[in-house]
Amino acid sequence: MAVDVARPPTRTGSPAVPRRRRPVWPRVWHFLSFGAPGVLVYVCFVLAPIAVSVGYSLTNYNPFGPKTRFVGLSNYKQLFTDSEFLTSLKVTTILTLIVVIVPNVFGLAVALLLDRRGWLYNALRSVFFTPVVLSSVVVSIIWTRLLADDGLINQALRGVGFSHPPGWLSDPSYALYSVGAILSWQMLGFCVVVYLAGLQGIPQELHEAAEIDGAGPMERFRKITWPLLAPALTINTIVMLITGFKAFDHIQVITNGGPGTGTTATIAFNVLQTGFNANREGYASAMAIVMLVIVAVAAAVALRILQKREVSM
Amino acid sequence: MKRIIALGASAMLAFAAMTGCSVKDDSGGGGGKGKKQITFLVFETPNMTPQVWDAAIKRVTDRYPDISVKKLVSPTQDRTAYAKQLLTSGQFPDVMVAISPAGFAESGNLYAWQPNELKDFTYPNNGAVNGKIYQLPANTQTIPVVYYNKSLFAKAGIASPPKTYAEMMSDADKLKAKGITPFVVGGGKDIHDALGPTFAGILGTDLYAKNPDWMHDRRAGKVKFAGPDYVKAAGKLADLASKGYIDKRMLSQDYAATQSAFLAGKGAMYAMGNWFAAAADDPKSKPPFDIGQFFWPSDDGKPVVPAFTGGGLLVSSHAKNLEAAKKFALAYQLDKTNLDASTKNDGLFPAIKGYTPPANSGPAFRTGYDLFKQAETQHAVVPAFGFEAGDDGMLPGVVDKWSTSMGDLVTGRKSAADVGKFLDSEWQKAS
Repeated sequence: MAVDVARPPTRTGSPAVPRRRRPVWPRVWHFLSFGAPGVLVYVCFVLAPIAVSVGYSLTNYNPFGPKTRFVGLSNYKQLFTDSEFLTSLKVTTILTLIVVIVPNVFGLAVALLLDRRGWLYNALRSVFFTPVVLSSVVVSIIWTRLLADDGLINQALRGVGFSHPPGWLSDPSYALYSVGAILSWQMLGFCVVVYLAGLQGIPQELHEAAEIDGAGPMERFRKITWPLLAPALTINTIVMLITGFKAFDHIQVITNGGPGTGTTATIAFNVLQTGFNANREGYASAMAIVMLVIVAVAAAVALRILQKREVSM
Repeated sequence: MKRIIALGASAMLAFAAMTGCSVKDDSGGGGGKGKKQITFLVFETPNMTPQVWDAAIKRVTDRYPDISVKKLVSPTQDRTAYAKQLLTSGQFPDVMVAISPAGFAESGNLYAWQPNELKDFTYPNNGAVNGKIYQLPANTQTIPVVYYNKSLFAKAGIASPPKTYAEMMSDADKLKAKGITPFVVGGGKDIHDALGPTFAGILGTDLYAKNPDWMHDRRAGKVKFAGPDYVKAAGKLADLASKGYIDKRMLSQDYAATQSAFLAGKGAMYAMGNWFAAAADDPKSKPPFDIGQFFWPSDDGKPVVPAFTGGGLLVSSHAKNLEAAKKFALAYQLDKTNLDASTKNDGLFPAIKGYTPPANSGPAFRTGYDLFKQAETQHAVVPAFGFEAGDDGMLPGVVDKWSTSMGDLVTGRKSAADVGKFLDSEWQKAS
């Protein structure tokens, strides 16, 4: 078969045909027509509000209070000595850890169980994914009823002999973990779907080859499945991290930050309370900016570590 | 060329669409030709259903067909916080019901009613903010009335309601001994409304009975939450929980679930605002047992009745159709059928001159109304702590901390003294 190999251009050959320069304006026009709307939306609805919030955070803005004045970094300084903010930071961290770990562990387990063919498995995938598409408010109301003292769960516990079942949402020692469990339950389906997509992308030949070489199921999981699921783990971890940090609606509906003061109050919840109930919107903006920085840094660090792991595996 | 024509046509269409969108509406926007549209923020409860609000609004719009009303519903019981969100997002409603005027009034967002507009109200100066009335003082609520389950009282061998606090504790002990939860309370997202009335009962007898100006004194820095009177009252609430008279696990119940729990016989006493009478009298929710009522007893048995007069409509000073908003608010508030409906649906005591409740009022409403009238003649009425408004109330934001601090007391997370200190520090932040 003849192969037509093009001669490399030489500087000394026949005189080069002058290259026609592509006009610049059509390319600019294309870039503007396709890129500008997106950039404009991003600037208007993401960057501008953040910039405005940064501006507010440097003031004592109170919509009902005296004239707004510039206070520099004093809101930020105050934050780090504010016990309420520090408590909400602790609550948010615990909640985020729960939401990152629990749906990832159970999501992987469920995905491994559902990585089969057949109508039953397809149906089960839909069942696990359903909570993800439900409104958080609906989920919160359902679980509030289930976890109430006379709810289904405590009734079942009483039925099997626990005369004093825990106050899942009323006892400060349990409430945060209950909310974490509810959030994890809702996000489980997301992790399952991402892990399933990862599992289905692993070539079957690798498993077959390993099996021929005598590798058992555990070793195949450790040496093939787990390393090749690294991109799925990255996605799930980052999404769960952000979900945990910005948790608000479940808290608002289920516990309103209680029982007691701040036992389940996340930073996002605290921002709203401080801004709209106490009217300290400048201070609340500072909280929101600190939260933004924490989420961005945590997500960036996690992403870097996990992507490094993807490459090394 | 084709491209130019297409671009030109698109530009013309866009221009036409934009000009179409910005046609001036002299009627005040929406609501039909020639109508003045106003927005009205309401809230829903088991008693104040969407149907109740719609019917009440319709009665006024039937009378004033030139006004059309767009109803907005608060997503939670905390309609004041929702109104703040609407204000800061530029969507402040024209008319609102039962939100606290604090903050809104001082910042010039509410219309100050003139004395001639308040001539029909029994207490025209109640709930003033810096001496001006922003919320129509439309009705009186006694907070709390202690509703009790007569069957459970009889089961525990209690013949009559307690006259003193010691008697009530003794009754609670008898009830507990029979395996009956003495007090039904709630919490969760509605802790202010579900547990607040119980604490308002204690604070009424132990704090306001001694000093009805306590909140004014707190504003003036003359008294503190960490002072002996507040701490003693807070200790009483904590004691109710530590002695098992309040089941801490009930703190997970929201307002509606708390009411349902009492109506389902899950506890003997329910300290609640007199609006509960509506549910007690409603054939749909009326329980199979008889309900009695008494006011939270004081240590010495002297009658003390915490009450709040206000709760009426407020009008935004920036309402596009201010005159229509004012006309609607006053007509809504003074409409006899609406007032009668408010007694039936929300158990309210209209504070309107010459008003008498309908003869066919339910027994729970009638008993509560008569008890209140009796208290008025005995000069036993004091403010209802945590439910006050305007200059009589806590600083903005502190009432939320007060609500959550009740949870700390009931769960035993904080001592009464620590709660007092905490509230003083929150007061300081809000000042």
